[in-house]
Amino acid sequence: MYEFDWSSIPGALPFLWEGMKVSLEITACAVLFGIAWGTLLAMARLAAIKPLTWLAAGYVNLFRAIPLVMVLLWFFLIVPQVLRGVFNLSATTDVRLASALVGFALFEAAYYSEIIRAGIQSVPKGQVAAAAALGMTYAQAMRLVVLPQAFRNMVPLLLTQAIVLFQDTSLVYVSALADFFGVAYKVGDRDGRLVELLLFAGAVYFLICFAASQAVRHYQKKLNAHGAH
Amino acid sequence: MISIQNVSKHYGTFQVLTDCSTEVNKGEVIVVCGPSGSGKSTLIKCVNGLEPFQSGTITVDGVSVGDPKTNLSKLRSRVGMVFQHFELFPHMSITDNLTIAQVKVLGRSKDEATDKGLKLLDRVGLKAHAAKFPGQLSGGQQQRVAIARALAMDPICMLFDEPTSALDPEMINEVLDVMVELAQEGMTMMCVTHEMGFARKVANRIVFMDQGQIVEDDAKDAFFGNPRSERARQFLAKILTH
Amino acid sequence: MGYQWNWSIFGSTVPTGETTYLVWLLSGLQTTILLSLSAWLLALALGSLTGVLRTVPSKPLSTLASAYVELFRNIPLLVQLFIWYFVLPEILPFGLGDAFKQQLSPLTQQFLSAMLCLAFFTSARVAEQVRAGINALPRGQRAAGLALGFTLPQTYRHVLLPMAFRLIVPPLTSECLNIFKNSAVCSTIGLLELAAQGRQLVDYTAQPYESFIAITLLYLVINVVVMGLMRIVEARARVPGYLGSK
Repeated sequence: MYEFDWSSIPGALPFLWEGMKVSLEITACAVLFGIAWGTLLAMARLAAIKPLTWLAAGYVNLFRAIPLVMVLLWFFLIVPQVLRGVFNLSATTDVRLASALVGFALFEAAYYSEIIRAGIQSVPKGQVAAAAALGMTYAQAMRLVVLPQAFRNMVPLLLTQAIVLFQDTSLVYVSALADFFGVAYKVGDRDGRLVELLLFAGAVYFLICFAASQAVRHYQKKLNAHGAH
Repeated sequence: MISIQNVSKHYGTFQVLTDCSTEVNKGEVIVVCGPSGSGKSTLIKCVNGLEPFQSGTITVDGVSVGDPKTNLSKLRSRVGMVFQHFELFPHMSITDNLTIAQVKVLGRSKDEATDKGLKLLDRVGLKAHAAKFPGQLSGGQQQRVAIARALAMDPICMLFDEPTSALDPEMINEVLDVMVELAQEGMTMMCVTHEMGFARKVANRIVFMDQGQIVEDDAKDAFFGNPRSERARQFLAKILTH
Repeated sequence: MGYQWNWSIFGSTVPTGETTYLVWLLSGLQTTILLSLSAWLLALALGSLTGVLRTVPSKPLSTLASAYVELFRNIPLLVQLFIWYFVLPEILPFGLGDAFKQQLSPLTQQFLSAMLCLAFFTSARVAEQVRAGINALPRGQRAAGLALGFTLPQTYRHVLLPMAFRLIVPPLTSECLNIFKNSAVCSTIGLLELAAQGRQLVDYTAQPYESFIAITLLYLVINVVVMGLMRIVEARARVPGYLGSK
């Protein structure tokens, strides 16, 4: 029978906390970037200009068809080489990490754009017509009338996607970044206590994600109850 | 045939049925009416155990519905039920709708079940639609198929839960005609309905419910001629102005 | 830029000489497909069972089922994979873990861990869809099944599930696509599936662009094929006269 030994965890807590901060930072950046870029993509897909629609659709469908691991490898291994070639960077400049993070954000933006597109489409068409009738331009109608309503409906979905994204950050492990999971793995490997560290990491992720998803569910219930009145 | 004795039911603190008692004898047609929310649909669903109840007893053909030892599936297979929203199975053809329970529940052969099902489909005037799917029929047609589906089980009695209230007005009569015919053939029926014309034509007794209680349980003529309670009088007046 | 494109690299032999890089690529594709399909079938079975349990009128069963769903939904896939591969064999009782480590080849160990991990991870998502599908049906359907004398299992088998599954073909399609994409995570435990072969090709050939483009294209092809297959399933399952079909 396996003898558990949790003694290496207390000493490693400062490292693990640093790792968690990295994970949370990546999550926050990717959520903000994902929503901003995703909104632009969604608007491009719904725009009347055909080439723009095709470009946005191509981007979203491409990123949604490729595994995140592949995207991260592209941006970790291939893109830095291209950049080095194009910008004549010196061999000492390591852009691999930054590149991987950009790849992560670009990937998540494709998923955000689909949520936002559905949100925009859920706003009745008459609202755009009403805004136009008041003399607003398309951009004004979007910014002042459609998007505020769309985002209110979308908040629970955007938050749920943020939880998924937080879980996805563990995959930056493939780019050797010291996120929470990366640190947990390294500590476990160093002390020969991989079993305990992996279980600990799993429990921490579970507690955070479970609490967050319950909070979202609670918020959504409140939203629904409010909307029903 | 159906005996309901002192049945009460509540969801949490909300009392849905309070001390309801009535009888449906063999060959009788009982119409249950009352304003919406009066508990009449809940009461009829208690008869075949689709809704549990906390106190009182219901027996159908001598079998106690509330007894945990009762084989409810077996009892239900002998009691036909017709729903407000028809509840045909949308993924099956009309023929399959008519035969599936005969085969899977009663153990009849496929041929026997099909034979029986098509005969009943003919009886409700829809033989030509045997190969269609429920979604391709009108509401009135679907409800007639649903009646045929229930009859195919050779039920000892039939429960109707507002069978016409989801129908467009022009389709109500085609369903009522089938029900009247059934009543005249001597089927034992308990019908929750607002169709007072139907009640006048074939009902033996009218049960009037309000706020979870049976307020009146009278012979048809007494109910329509001179309802005893003020609430029943108001209800009848409202129905007539529709 | 000075990069020498060389698409014939796939035809050249690997360092050990027994085969070509193209064969490596295809064996990676084969592993990805085998792994994803077997995990998908298991996920469908587990997910359907769990999804059904979440809708039955029994508090303990539905609580148990929702605990299952929460467990597998709230831990990152990579962490789950490492737990299946590194942790479970250590802590499994009755010599099961030792049997796993000693009697199975490393390849089988990797494949089994990866398959079970993907299956359980996806089954929680399938369960959510199955539950949503059942709950989307009119409430009277269950009552109608029971009123005809069907037992509860018969009601699920003949009445509720056939319609519920038809309703959820689109979300199941995206879960099926996800399992193929998620299988790439399994390269992290050394399983030589498509993404891992891609990395290996980069290391050996020094022709990173060709390798990565080829791998990415293969993932795109998998996507198109799965979507095509599911569209056929959807068309076959279409109910005449039902909403959304003509």
